[in-house]
Amino acid sequence: MSTTTKPARPGASLDVAGVAGRGSRALRRFLRRTSTVGLVVYTLALGAGLGLATADYATRGGYPFGGVSVGSWTAWPRTGSLGADPYARAVNARRGEIPLAVGEGLLLTAAQDDQGRALDASCTYRIAGVTPPARAWTLTVAGRGKRDPERPVLREGFTSTEVLREVDGRFAILLAPDVRPGNWLPMPRAEGPVRLALRLYDTPVAASAGTVERSAVPTIARTGCAE
Amino acid sequence: MSPRGRLVLATLAGLVLAGLVHIAVVLAIPSLSESDALTKARTSETLDHAMPVYTLSTGINPAPAEAWLPIPDPSVAVGICAYNLAEGPMRVSARTGALMLSLAVHGRRGAFYAVTDQAAVRGALDLVILTRAQYDEALANEDENDVSRDVRIVATEREGFVVVRVVAALPSQRQAANEAVQAVSCTIDSPTEDAAKSGG
Repeated sequence: MSTTTKPARPGASLDVAGVAGRGSRALRRFLRRTSTVGLVVYTLALGAGLGLATADYATRGGYPFGGVSVGSWTAWPRTGSLGADPYARAVNARRGEIPLAVGEGLLLTAAQDDQGRALDASCTYRIAGVTPPARAWTLTVAGRGKRDPERPVLREGFTSTEVLREVDGRFAILLAPDVRPGNWLPMPRAEGPVRLALRLYDTPVAASAGTVERSAVPTIARTGCAE
Repeated sequence: MSPRGRLVLATLAGLVLAGLVHIAVVLAIPSLSESDALTKARTSETLDHAMPVYTLSTGINPAPAEAWLPIPDPSVAVGICAYNLAEGPMRVSARTGALMLSLAVHGRRGAFYAVTDQAAVRGALDLVILTRAQYDEALANEDENDVSRDVRIVATEREGFVVVRVVAALPSQRQAANEAVQAVSCTIDSPTEDAAKSGG
């Protein structure tokens, strides 16, 4: 029986959720005919399908929550610790990620500029300012998904030792698709969204990421976009 | 109950069931996953040095494909030592050099200890990971005149791994960073050896 009734189910539940439309008469006839067994099968299918789908969605890609927002950056202090939430643990397990422990460092990511626009590979960005105190840091850029094998890898990021600084210790990195003077960080791909990662190694702020000031992280300003 | 009422009830029950399935699946993923770091690290249990997980590209040599970290830091070499404390306490020894080095001890639930090369005594960092019983045994067998420089960490679980990270601040240091990861030794502290040492 379940084989004959199953295809009608999604439509039936949609009708109840939405307005009683043209299918309502068919639905009523179907409900009259269906038995308790049919409804139990429907319940189990809904529970298993929806449960698995939402669990997969929540643990795919990045961490769903647990980040501390600092300016346009998001710090992830707990993803590697024993206090990590179950979602972060599931994400780590699925990706094979080895997160930074609290005593080791702190990961900050940014997917948006200071105006809240998503970072796009066709635009030019100026990442400038200072970083929270750390023995070493690296600032890297990555696109989502696999790297384009045709595109040569010139540079993926800067370390705190490599970066050229102003006299006052501040730095400015230009993330641009074309060659720039100074600290030029090439775009990793021709188009699409990109993400920045700032990793602080051996930093005292890892234990208190909530107290990092907005002025202590680099600003991300869009200076132009290729049309 | 009207047919429609039955359907609404069935839908509500399905949604509650979906919530339960969601929570159960999310909680079960770490222990069921076959792509997590702990499962992948098990192949390194037989090695006596750290297994390179992410080797930095040096000059003409690109980063090898053994890297399974999703978005690795291109200037940090990563190695891993899996341990199983059923065979005895795990000793991780690292010599510190010019490059920044950090060791983090991960269990199944996450990292529970991390130390950097700033904690090294005379250029050596010795970490011993043991269970509570092994720790008590080590304390009982300790010679009071012989001060141990080991950092002893009690692990709550038998299985886990130690992650070695070496930061290459400049591209010219990448070769040295790769070598520093390989140079970290991870050995099982056999109790017989300890007994022989304290006896002699």
